[in-house]
Amino acid sequence: MALVGNPNVGKSVIFGRLTGRYALVSNYPGTTVALTQGRALVGNEVCDVIDTPGVNAVEGVLSEDEQITRAIITSDRADVVVQVADARNIRRALMLTWQVARCGKPMVLVLNMTDEARSRGIDVDARRLHSELGVPVVETVATEGRGLTELRRALGRARVVSVPADTDAASWGHSYAERVRRAKPRASPRVQEAIGRAVRHPLTGLPILAVVLYLLYLFVGVFGAQTLVGLVEKGVFGRFVNPAATSLATRFIPIAFVRDLLVGEYGVITMGLTYAIGIVLPVVTTFFLMFGWLEDSGYIPRLAIFCDRIFRMMGLNGKAVLPMVLGLGCDTMATMTTRILGSRKERLIAILLLALGIPCSAQLATILGILGGISFAALLTLFAVVVAQMFLVGFLAARVLPGDRSDFIMELPPIRLPLMRNLLRKTLMRVRWYLGEAVPLFLIGTLLLFLLDRTGLLRVLVAAAQPVVTGLLGLPAATAQVFVMGFLRRDYGAAGLYQMAHAGALTSVQAVVALTVMTLFVPCVANFLMIVKEQGVRVGLTMLAFITVVALSTGVALNHVLRFFGISF
Amino acid sequence: MSFASSVSRFDSIRRLNSLQPGDRGTIVRVTTDDLARADRLAALGVTPGASVRLLQRFPGFVFECDQTELAVEPAVARTILVELR
Repeated sequence: MALVGNPNVGKSVIFGRLTGRYALVSNYPGTTVALTQGRALVGNEVCDVIDTPGVNAVEGVLSEDEQITRAIITSDRADVVVQVADARNIRRALMLTWQVARCGKPMVLVLNMTDEARSRGIDVDARRLHSELGVPVVETVATEGRGLTELRRALGRARVVSVPADTDAASWGHSYAERVRRAKPRASPRVQEAIGRAVRHPLTGLPILAVVLYLLYLFVGVFGAQTLVGLVEKGVFGRFVNPAATSLATRFIPIAFVRDLLVGEYGVITMGLTYAIGIVLPVVTTFFLMFGWLEDSGYIPRLAIFCDRIFRMMGLNGKAVLPMVLGLGCDTMATMTTRILGSRKERLIAILLLALGIPCSAQLATILGILGGISFAALLTLFAVVVAQMFLVGFLAARVLPGDRSDFIMELPPIRLPLMRNLLRKTLMRVRWYLGEAVPLFLIGTLLLFLLDRTGLLRVLVAAAQPVVTGLLGLPAATAQVFVMGFLRRDYGAAGLYQMAHAGALTSVQAVVALTVMTLFVPCVANFLMIVKEQGVRVGLTMLAFITVVALSTGVALNHVLRFFGISF
Repeated sequence: MSFASSVSRFDSIRRLNSLQPGDRGTIVRVTTDDLARADRLAALGVTPGASVRLLQRFPGFVFECDQTELAVEPAVARTILVELR
């Protein structure tokens, strides 16, 4: 049995109620679209349940989510299709019913959120709908578990809906909705509406955004990056994992090369795994939690309204705010989520801007740590330069690259308090993604660093970078090594700069220049590999070269301007 | 008489982007010069017969279509024709 429905109709909640807690989240083969599968007890039978992504159509021009949903409901994995409808939006749901019905599977229609619909003055005549469509129609309030028993009973009575060939989804859905819906809409001033209005209105929305960003910083930057990292990296890895691995390796591995590969200075365990699990995992987990909360509460889609105008000048639309905000947690993951954007051109621009200007949580922590100690003006200079550079590059890319951007049409889900259960499931899914997809890339990065070091290429690279770093950027020679290593392992670059700043090896101007270059540069080798995976080697290398040139030339210009005007923060 | 009423009906049909916040009406047509766009709007419930209420004009157009809240750019709002109520 498959659950289908428009986005935000409570499908996942119904799924959770039907299957209990044992659910398996997996990607549809060859895609990143997540499917949740579980088992439900129906009468005396155990029945497989698939939760499909929320869709608005299963016919016509389809998104990736929609194609997969269609593939599932037309395949023999689904004997029965249960469509979940938001009772408040019955007209829209019926348009989808028309399309689902044409797939020819027996259906059950669930009218969810009937309580909210009634409180809004909307009454859907379930009995009439049942007699007109000929399928079971079940009313539920899934969040409270009401109607689930009736739904289980109704599954056996599922029927195929026959739709006349001479109709279309819109007119069919409209005429049925008109017949079964009694609406006397009340525009009651409700809390949700007030919050919705406050966050989308510029006067109140911008201060709210500032508060949200500050909370994000407190939760991810302080709690995640400091408290949790301290516990996991220094505690778990520093005290237990690494000493154990080292002593095991010294005892059982006689070949020095292999031993160093695993537990040496650039070892896959002592460096790669410690980094991926000890430092990045706590940061991305706290970030995913907060991001998921903002997403489920309906806040992030509303943020898109603010960004639409500016993003349109850069060849994107407001929808791109999702990957951009996600990039503040991890650019590598954000690069992957650019798939939600409508056109190839938009995906390319978004990936470029993520790699160029959006600092990931590790970079942000470094920037705030070093520049916060110097002055607010230093911090402001860095962000102004980075934002201006992003805008300039986006503006030019929008004009140079072929193709079109897609229209900004976005559904704003109702403002609601996120359900802990769904939030945890979502976060778990993302963390699992991180462990499966990003951690291997970090390990490859460490391996690369190990090989570069062993072959002496690391020294050659550092030597080659030195003239640019000391001459044009006006930075101490040691920064060259920090830059090269920083690309392979972000926190090494960060920690290196941090030490230099604290030892007094960097003047305030040098700190601003070095951090600006680091922020503009491609965040890390994992991000680069993800770009290659998404867009191919040619695009990946072109972006890397382009971004390197932009980052260095911006640094050079900034260095000279600051010095020329004698600015010292 | 019939002339007058047809004029007033004609007058009350406006593009969504010319409405003021708080204005209500019913969608009478969505222009189809861009079919993919019209399809996307239709999938979200923006089709003739749906009732709309404009909520906000700046920084983007936000409107309620039946019970769905949608945000669109001005160029999209232009394609939605509404009969004021």
